[in-house]
Amino acid sequence: MTLVAVKEDGPALLDGYRDVVGDGPLRVLYGLARKLKGHRIAMVNSTATGGGVAEILHRLVRLLNELDVPTTWEVMPGDTRFYGITKTIHNTLHGWPGTLSPADHEYFHEMNRRAAKELALDGDLVLIHDPQPAAVVLHRKRPGQRWLWRCHIDLSRADRDVWDFLAPSVAHYHAAVFSHVAFVPPLPVPAYLVPPSIDPLSDKNRELTDEEEDELLAPLGLPASKPWVTQVSRYDRIKDPLGVIDAFTLARKRSDAHLVLAGGGASDDPEGAEVLAEVKAKVAGRNDVSVLLLPNDAHLTINALQRRSAVVVQKSLREGFALTVSEALWKRRAVVASAVGGIPLQVLHERTGMLVRSIEGCAFQITRLLRSSDLRRRLGNEGREHVRENFLHPREARDYLAVFARLLEAAGNGVP
Amino acid sequence: MPPSFELQSVVHLVRPAGRKAHDLEQLRQGIVDSSPETLFYHSLQHQLRHPAVEELHPADFTAWVNGVTQDRETAERIAFAIEQRGGSPDELRDALLEVLDAIPERTRIQRDAPEDGDFVFLDMESVRVATGRECQDTAELIGHLADVNPSVLFWHLVQQPWLSPEAPSLIEWTREAGDERLAKLLEENSHSGRPLEAIRSSILRRWRRSTLGRRLAAAARAPEDDRREEGRRAVASIVRRMTNPTEAADDSRRR
Repeated sequence: MTLVAVKEDGPALLDGYRDVVGDGPLRVLYGLARKLKGHRIAMVNSTATGGGVAEILHRLVRLLNELDVPTTWEVMPGDTRFYGITKTIHNTLHGWPGTLSPADHEYFHEMNRRAAKELALDGDLVLIHDPQPAAVVLHRKRPGQRWLWRCHIDLSRADRDVWDFLAPSVAHYHAAVFSHVAFVPPLPVPAYLVPPSIDPLSDKNRELTDEEEDELLAPLGLPASKPWVTQVSRYDRIKDPLGVIDAFTLARKRSDAHLVLAGGGASDDPEGAEVLAEVKAKVAGRNDVSVLLLPNDAHLTINALQRRSAVVVQKSLREGFALTVSEALWKRRAVVASAVGGIPLQVLHERTGMLVRSIEGCAFQITRLLRSSDLRRRLGNEGREHVRENFLHPREARDYLAVFARLLEAAGNGVP
Repeated sequence: MPPSFELQSVVHLVRPAGRKAHDLEQLRQGIVDSSPETLFYHSLQHQLRHPAVEELHPADFTAWVNGVTQDRETAERIAFAIEQRGGSPDELRDALLEVLDAIPERTRIQRDAPEDGDFVFLDMESVRVATGRECQDTAELIGHLADVNPSVLFWHLVQQPWLSPEAPSLIEWTREAGDERLAKLLEENSHSGRPLEAIRSSILRRWRRSTLGRRLAAAARAPEDDRREEGRRAVASIVRRMTNPTEAADDSRRR
């Protein structure tokens, strides 16, 4: 049996979200749910645990059921060989080198054929997540069903051959959904944009008491007497940690502060370890910079770190969506970030944060913010409201419902 | 009396329109080629994205020119053109092009975005959502406007009059229901370009003020017990506002 049992203990999610976003957005969710009355949603992905997609689905499936839209979630079956192939697909779609052999192609389709036989797919609205089960549509699409492909991957630098292998399957869907406009490849079906969102009830974002923050931060040994300028990112050149150090060094000449670079996962990634070593070498002997390597599940520590920072920086050279920005804004932090990828959607210049294009610009805005607590407060307050309206889970659920409602409308208008 | 009017909400789905701008020249060309929905999304839809702010955030065009190309003067002039947006997509398009045409083509090309900072034009599809709230008369309408989701205000006061004039108009219905004063109030606010919560407050405040005489007369005819209870409620409300000034803001957000 591949059906995922979603945790339904504890208070209703709708109650938790109502406390955060208010009644209005939930009434829109109920209105959309009424539009889907009589329909059932079936979701499929490749894993029930680990990773951001599974995390979102545990919340989303429960939320949709609470809204009385019957929704099931199944995990497609696979084996080691299949997962090896889909790992290559995942990496190459992200722009890493790799190739698929004709035998890999055949095995991928064979496993999707098998999944199409085994999955219950108890719904007329089918939402398939990511490339692994993307070809199930070829074998199970029935008249009257609406199929939606949700791509959580940044395809902006996708390997052409691998995408060309996958694209014919995607063309069989009624529509596709992407997180950001830059990720959308040419497609013969409508491509909707549904930005990702953060969960205000999760460990990474929930409110913390002062005591909890003290307890979480104590082991890090950061100086409590100085304001912190923080970048939370994996150690990767495109996150420009060396540029952050340069900007901070310039800003530090004008305002006293402490730089915190916090990231995780470098030990699994050879290039990450190399970048981390470069960062450490660059700040060797300095006592105004802390370089932290945190475990991947240090959500509460990151939460506390962001909450205690005076300024949060995201000085990336390239970006996907950069949800760390929304996380910081949600905590009312003043943010300085590069005008790349999905960041300008979150940071509205001079309103919810500061957009920069250079090391000097970054230094200038850090100094400006360190000097003005009023400015930090104003940006932080607007930033929180911006995230409340646009980057929390209920909005993402609303968008999925709206896409399905649109597909049903189109079906009613005779679109095949 | 006209038939009852059902309030609608709206959710917008966005899709790439297939055009990008790396500099002001390409922005200009993109505006020439944009559909009314694209112009609407990048110029006016931000009102729905930031319903409860004190001062409205800049529209997408303004924000990109200001924050990404960092051409402050053009951003100011685009902001002004959008604020004076006129009554139709074509009028808005002409106003935006006038701003950009005032810059020499060579300069428009020089004012560009960093790598990965291009402006991407988006198309917008509207999914209308029934609220289940029917208004039999304008008093009932005011009652609903007090607590509907901001997307309801947005649909009836901003989007429908500008982008879907063929859809049932709340302003026209109000007029047909005989409340010209409320119709004018709704009309003024629909063009105001203010945050939706500010529009809501303004409509409710001014409508209450305009009906004060009527309400006083009705109250004078009410039984003594009812008047006393109403007085108690009014005092309690004033005390609550004085002792907890943030409550009103929170109430507004929770809608």
